[in-house]
Amino acid sequence: MMRNLWVATLLAVFAASVGAQDAKSTYKVPRTPDGQPDFQGYWTNLTYTPYERPKELANKPFYTEKEAIEAFNKAVGESQNQAVHYVSTDFGATPVQTGAKPNLRTSLVIDPPDGRIPPMTLEAQKRQAARVAEERAAGPLARTWRDDRGTVWCVFHDRAVPAVIAPYGSNYQIVQSKDQMVMIYEWNSEHRVIPLDGRPHGTIPTYIGDSRGHWEGDTLVVETINFTTKRTFLGSPGMPPAVAMMPTFKLTERFTRTADDTIVHTYTVEDPATWTRPWTVEMPMHRIKGPMLEYACNENNVDAFTTLRNARAQEAGKLAPPDRVRNVGDAKATVLQREGKGSGETGQAGEASGAGERK
Amino acid sequence: MIRATHAAIVLAIAVAAASPHAQTGRTPSGPPTYRAPRTASGQPDLNGIWQALNTANWDLEAHEAAAGPVLQLGAAYAVPSGPGVVVDGPIPYTPDGLAMKKKYAANALREDAEVKCYLPGVPRMMYMPYPVQIVQSADTIVMMSEFASALRTIYINGTARPPADTWMGWSNGKWDGETLVIDSRGFMGATVGALDEEGAVHVRFLDRAGNYHTDGLHVVERIRRTGPDHLQYEATIEDPNVYTKPWTIRMPLYRRVEPNMRLGEFKCEEFVGDLVYGKYQKK
Repeated sequence: MMRNLWVATLLAVFAASVGAQDAKSTYKVPRTPDGQPDFQGYWTNLTYTPYERPKELANKPFYTEKEAIEAFNKAVGESQNQAVHYVSTDFGATPVQTGAKPNLRTSLVIDPPDGRIPPMTLEAQKRQAARVAEERAAGPLARTWRDDRGTVWCVFHDRAVPAVIAPYGSNYQIVQSKDQMVMIYEWNSEHRVIPLDGRPHGTIPTYIGDSRGHWEGDTLVVETINFTTKRTFLGSPGMPPAVAMMPTFKLTERFTRTADDTIVHTYTVEDPATWTRPWTVEMPMHRIKGPMLEYACNENNVDAFTTLRNARAQEAGKLAPPDRVRNVGDAKATVLQREGKGSGETGQAGEASGAGERK
Repeated sequence: MIRATHAAIVLAIAVAAASPHAQTGRTPSGPPTYRAPRTASGQPDLNGIWQALNTANWDLEAHEAAAGPVLQLGAAYAVPSGPGVVVDGPIPYTPDGLAMKKKYAANALREDAEVKCYLPGVPRMMYMPYPVQIVQSADTIVMMSEFASALRTIYINGTARPPADTWMGWSNGKWDGETLVIDSRGFMGATVGALDEEGAVHVRFLDRAGNYHTDGLHVVERIRRTGPDHLQYEATIEDPNVYTKPWTIRMPLYRRVEPNMRLGEFKCEEFVGDLVYGKYQKK
């Protein structure tokens, strides 16, 4: 039953994917009262497709339909076997529960052709090494609310723009007027207003960047510059490490509706200060049911208080260090114990703790 | 003849008094004769970036100028005087409600969510000294304040009840001729389960003077264009926990007419982290 459902959705996705590249697509894009392609509603880009292509699939950009379903089911199964699944499953918030669908692509990165982010420049490699050394020197305990060591940081949610893989909550609401499009991202209720009226870019750096949109046929093309250098890009769980965003960072996105329930979203990242060549990602967006609720991250940030208080207590020798809890086997045993199932077998999941993840 | 004229005038007054508009009011300058430009779907067009130009965020009620709460900030952050925006003020607090207001006002630096960069709620978001952008489609209107990137979504002809209490509330809207009428409920009245008093607020301030509401808040806003670059903004505020009856604020909002005007990014969490978490940070 489940499997048949995936076959059906996959066929739809496959049709959409072909449609994106086929100018003669018969899909008639719905229009707003202003006559523009209508992107409004609720969408998710949650996915089980890896950002970069696994090395063993280096020469295989596409799965067959059968392989895509198998890969999807395998990924869903693995994600549900995790020792600690946080609370996403209980809240119906995992990708498969939210509306993620199989993908014929074997990676989200589609250019370079090997599906991997191109090498960094020497200068960027040095920057990254310095970053890692600084983090290491700072030790395991959070010093201030700015530290990414279990504190939850509410200033800005990096995954909003550019879009990357999230474990849950990677949902969007789009509202359009004639001259503006608003894209609201569920995490931290981040929202960007994309002027469509042809005005020039501004000059002030911001976390969310300075976006301008224009129409190329039925495709919305959005160019974004002026990201603040205070933020980073990538770095979510299962993603390549975070990199600093330099003033030369430029994002070019293309949004195309290819079916009632699908937007094909591609973006090209260019930053000669960081990568040796531009590279491109394709992340399909699938229609989901609304509404989206307010995120309210900063309003009583219990995680930040707890983490900092515990860090100070640990420094004062009043609390055991956190390292033991990080062990996946221990964590699973703890969960089973709590659920009254005794200390069972250990799982083989990856990083069990949410520590280090920016909310 | 005289008598007939007199009767007609009395009748006119009676009709005006009975009409719902008499209660919610029109501009002092007269009836709403301005017809707003329409969107492609035929609704009055509220798109744009708007801002209040008054002292409502200091104190909704009429107030004299006063020193600011922090001595070192001197005249730069003192309170400018204002005639108030409460229609037929003052605010009708219950006796207990008023006593609590005085208590909260005396503790404003701890209790005012604006200090902690918490979401300002409704209606406060609309008259803070920051621009508000409205993006309007046929069935959804988004209003965004520059302050704390606060966001509210208004569901046109929506009938859903609030699925949960939130800081910005749940807003259903409908068009009444030239006027957008927004009904909002489901507001958080305080921080819930606060682990630390540094992060807690116990009520929600409507201004810096300690006027406040609880989770009993119900707001009905009426917004209409009065010209190319003006909105009339009106909000009727109800909260039986602290007021004896609903009361109304009214003010113009002005279009930010600068070319290429956009909302700035004021992610003030950055500016308050050291204040709120300071005592637990490594020195």
